[in-house]
This record gives sequence, C-alpha cells and structure tokens, in this order.
Amino acid sequence: MTSTPSTPNAPDVDTTSDDDVTGWRRMHPITPALKGWKVLVAVLAIGWFQAGENIEQAIDLLHGPAFLALIGGFLLIGLIGFGYSAVAWRVTRFAVTDEAVHLRTGILFRQQRQARLDRLQAVDVVQPLLARLVGLAELKLEVAGGSGSAVSLAFLREADAEALRAELLALSAGLQRPGAAAVQTPVDGAEPDGAPVTPVPFEVAPEREVYDLPMGRLVSATLRSGAVLVLLLVIAGAITLAIVSRDISGAFVLVAPLFAGVTFVWSRINQGANFRAAISPDGIRLRHGLTESRAQTVPPGRVQAIRVRQGPLWRGPDWWRVEINVAGYGQGDQQQRDTVLHPVATRGEAMTALWLVLPDLGVQDPTALVEAALTGMDEVGGFTSAPRRARWVDPVGWRRHGVRVTERALVTRSGRIWRSVDVVPHERTQSLGLEQGPIQRRLGLASFVLHSTPGPVSPRVNHLDAGVAAALLDEQAERARTARATATPEQWMRAVGAPTPTEPEPEPTSAAPTANPEWAPEPTSAAPPATGADA
Amino acid sequence: MTSDAVPGTREPFDPTDVTWTPVSSRLIGARLTVTAIVLGPALALLVLLAVLVGATWLWVFPAVVVLLVVWILWLVPRQVRALAYAERADDLLVRRGIMFRSLVVVPYGRMQYVDVNAGPIARKFQIASVQLHTASSATSASIEGLPPHEAARLRDRMASRGEARLAGL
Repeated sequence: MTSTPSTPNAPDVDTTSDDDVTGWRRMHPITPALKGWKVLVAVLAIGWFQAGENIEQAIDLLHGPAFLALIGGFLLIGLIGFGYSAVAWRVTRFAVTDEAVHLRTGILFRQQRQARLDRLQAVDVVQPLLARLVGLAELKLEVAGGSGSAVSLAFLREADAEALRAELLALSAGLQRPGAAAVQTPVDGAEPDGAPVTPVPFEVAPEREVYDLPMGRLVSATLRSGAVLVLLLVIAGAITLAIVSRDISGAFVLVAPLFAGVTFVWSRINQGANFRAAISPDGIRLRHGLTESRAQTVPPGRVQAIRVRQGPLWRGPDWWRVEINVAGYGQGDQQQRDTVLHPVATRGEAMTALWLVLPDLGVQDPTALVEAALTGMDEVGGFTSAPRRARWVDPVGWRRHGVRVTERALVTRSGRIWRSVDVVPHERTQSLGLEQGPIQRRLGLASFVLHSTPGPVSPRVNHLDAGVAAALLDEQAERARTARATATPEQWMRAVGAPTPTEPEPEPTSAAPTANPEWAPEPTSAAPPATGADA
Repeated sequence: MTSDAVPGTREPFDPTDVTWTPVSSRLIGARLTVTAIVLGPALALLVLLAVLVGATWLWVFPAVVVLLVVWILWLVPRQVRALAYAERADDLLVRRGIMFRSLVVVPYGRMQYVDVNAGPIARKFQIASVQLHTASSATSASIEGLPPHEAARLRDRMASRGEARLAGL
C-alpha cells in the first residue's frame, strides 16, 4: 500500500512508457458510488448462500445484539467497497491519442493498457440501470485480443461518452482531427475533472435507422422458444405427479428449472427490448436493452460471419434470429448479448440484416439466393449439396447440407428442423479444414469446416462428397487469399480516400458499392438500401 | 478399422501438388513413454492387488490394461506416421488422424502467433511442437514431434511469412 498516491494532483511518478501522452482524463466522480455497491451485493449474495442451508437458524440468531452487529458489518463492508472504489477511481485515468487509447488502472497492481485504434473491432456505450438514472454511461472498446482485452471506460457523462465514441470511430477510420494542431491544450497531469479537454469535437456520424423490433413480437417469439416448451412440460409433469402421489413436496424439485426458465425468458426480453439497428459511415449501430441499455457500433468490415437461424417453433410466423461473429465479442455471456444482429427478424428483415453486413453478396439475384439458403433443399439456388448416400449418416437433414460460393462470400446451409444459414465473406476466412470419420470414409464423404473468430457462428458443411469437399478446400483457400489482397484496409475511410467525414453515405466493405436494386429488402422496413442513398 | 487405411493415401486428404513432411518418428517414443508413465504404475498396482487377494476374476483388470497397452502400441506408430505438414507458397497444411482424419489449411496472412513447446519428455526425445494460432480458436493446427531446429526454422518462417502477407484480422 506504500504506493497509494497521496498527492492526487501530482502526475504519476512511476516510469511509464507512455510519458509523452498528454491529455489524461478521469472518469466521472460519481463512478465510485455506482461501482461500490456491487461489493455490498456480492457480500450479501455470499451471505445468502452460506445461510441458505439453515435459514431458520440464521433468523433465530438475528435478535438483539447479533442483529446490530450484522448491520454494522454490512455498513463496514459497504464503506470498504466505496472506499476502494474511490481510490480506484482516483488512480484511473485515460487518454486518447491519434493512434491509441491509453488506460491506467489499479491500486496495488498498476496496469497500463494501450488499445490500438486501427485494430478497433467495436465500440459500445453501455448504460446499466443505475448509471442511466444519473445520466452516465460506460464506453467499451473491443480490440480482439482474446477474453478480457476490452478497454472499459466507466463511467463518463452520457454526452461525453457519445462524443468520445465519435472521436474514436473517426480516428480509427483514419480520419484527421478537425483542426489537428490544437492538441497541446492540456497541461500535463492537470485534471479538469469531468470536463474533458477535447480540442475540437468530431461530428457524430449521421445514421439512418434500418429496422426495429416491436415489443409484442419479441415477447411472443421468446415465449415460443423451445426452453419455454420444455419448462411447461416439466411443470405439467410435476403437477400430475403431485396430484397422483398426493404429495406436494416433489414440486420443490421444480424450483431450479423454473428459475432457469424465467431467467432465460427475462434475459432474452430484457436484452432484445427496444432493438433498433441503424447504418452510418461508422458502421452498424445496434441499440437494445430494457434495464441496461447498450448502443453497439461495429465498424465496416468488422463482422466476421453471419448466421441466420430458425427453430421449429418459429417456422409458422417465419421468424429468424440473426447473429454475428465480431472479434472481441463472443466470450462468455457476451456471446448471448452482444452478437445479436436481430433477435426476431421477419424474412425481409433477415435479408436487410444480411445486407447491412454484406451489401454485395456477389450474385445476380441475392434475394433468390437467400431464399434458397433459408428454406431450399438439394441443388436449389445453385447450392452444392450432400450426395444421396449421405442419408446413411444424416437421415433427416442430408438434403439441407449445402454450400454455395459467390464472388464475395461463402454461403452454407444446414438443418431441416433447426434451419441455419451461415455467410462468411471470403476475406474474413481465418483457416479451413477438412474432416472425415470412419463411416464417412466408407461412404466417400467429408465435412468442410471454416474457422471464424470465436462467436455464435461456426460454419461447416457436413457430408459433402469427399472429392468435392477437397476441391472446395483448395479453391476456398485461393479465393480467401485473393479477397484478402483487395480487402478494405483496417482504417476503413482510407479506402475511399476521405479526409473528412462529409458524405453521409454508408461506405461498406467494398470500395465500389454496387447499387443492386433487387437486393433492396422489402419495402416495409425503413427503406435503407444502397440505391436510396445515392439520391 | 481394417488395414486398408494406410495413412494418407486417399485423394481428399492428399492434394496433388503438395509434398508432405512427416514428423520425426521420435514422437512415437515420446508418446509411448507417456503411456508407460501413466499405465505402468496402474498395471503394477492391479497385478499386485490380484496376487494379494488371490481371486482369479481380479486378473480381468490387469488384462484389460494389457489389452489397452497393446492397442496403444499398435495405434501410436500409425498415428505418428499419419501426422504430416506441408508448406505451400501462401499457406501451411497440417494433416492428422487415421480413423478420424482432418486436414487444416492455415494461411500465413492469418497467423496471429506461433507457439513452440517442449516438455521434459519431449526434450529427452529431442522433439518440440509448433502450434499456429489464428484469430479463430477453432484452428487446431499443432505439429508435434518436430526436431528442435526444424521447429525453430518453421517458427521463424511463419513469422516472416505472416509479416510479408500482412497479417490482420
């Protein structure tokens, strides 16, 4: 504890590699209040689980002085929590330069983190309920360095967070600062608390809303999921059991699955509520969340793969769930939350979502291709499908296994009951694989696997003819290579040679946005597509 | 599991314009040593138990272990012989497996980092393993049983190739 900074106004004395970085800023001073209560909650939860076994004894104990001691203990723990958060806040600082975001944290173990802006994968503005009430927000930067590599700036004033997001996105797009010379303003180490020293703010990129999700559809779609069905069956079974055996105690077994089911439904609804997607020169904007609201921005070319899927219960209303792989997202519970491009899409919206990521699928008639991919079988829509002998290894779904290669992407389709379509742009291919088990070898079949970054999408085509699969592997390696050579640079605005963000036109993956009228999604959604933008 | 599966003779896992480099056969020794370390004490213990108790049926357990050992003795050399890699102009191919075969193509331009590992047993047998990592955790491209100098050469080559091919995401 010797190194606890006793002089808050002095710049850190320790030797740092980023000494030349100026303009260190602090988080908002309310931050410790928002973070400190978590310690209390954690302690309460632990206490609850400890006492959970013999809750009655615990309550008996809680009379008189013991109760006071308990209250005192909680107060103490709360104070420690807030105190810790306050000290942590004091040593936490961040700075933004043209190349990177620098973050210093840690009380005992100092940590300095630099996130290179040209490797920025996504920027999220997150507002947990409490922060939302006081108008603060957390800014999260994903830089694709594996789990825990995200840089979290919590908490900032909402307007500051949005301005900072615009700044980061513009810088990582390779744009120049407006009035680039005015950066020397901050005196080294001086803290203008809460008042950031942004020289000239970047303009927030204009955006156009593409689709939103009505609450009614979200709720009914969530209730139509398999988990709810299983839950209902379990409840029905338990009730009959209780009636037959005239003993209610068996019903307590249900508490755990019931809890899990309710949690699932709640989290789906909570995360998908108010879901809106928009497109801007910065990339795709996703906003969602009921209690905790998130605004995600995924810059162009950062989506590694897309999956459109549908379970049997969603077949009637023709709903689809659209998920994406983004490097940096997709670890742990993030995978459920951040990787959704559309929680419940109609077919038209699913196509729009696909268009958001891949404006040019590289075929004459993209709508027909997507239709064939979503519901088609066998060779429909130019797909290469599994041969008839594959029915020995997959009697139900063999006719759905298929792959179609377009100029820009690889489209795979699978599943007869749980339908699923994966799309991977050629330049986003990481590595490729071929797999064959003993039965497959007898039948002359092989599975083609495409490795993408961690996330919900893991494209593979099972049971192709072995020769076809091997040829596909070879060709795809070649295609991925050529696509990579012509791919957009990581600083995506460099591709269009734009010095300033003047044009409001979404500038997607390719330098030549081929206006493709048929690829316009159905007119019900807010008319986003490529042709409209030129007007 | 008949013997028609001579490793790497069938077309899909054997592209034409590729010369495969097999890994060192010292890997057989290393893997068998690991087996001996794990199964040897277990076998001894089971035999001891059977002798001490004296019941005939207890000999079933050591017999099972012996069968397992025989199977491993038969399997490991074939597995090792099936393990091979090939460097092409723009990507690296890794092939493995007899029953469950797999072939992985890793473009140099997608390489994020390269690991070279050598445990105590591997060092005794003078081999090392090279593992290639892309941004995908699904890429399972590790080459075990390389002579150390070859591992180092491969590592450097991967690094330089990756740089030349502008590794990115």
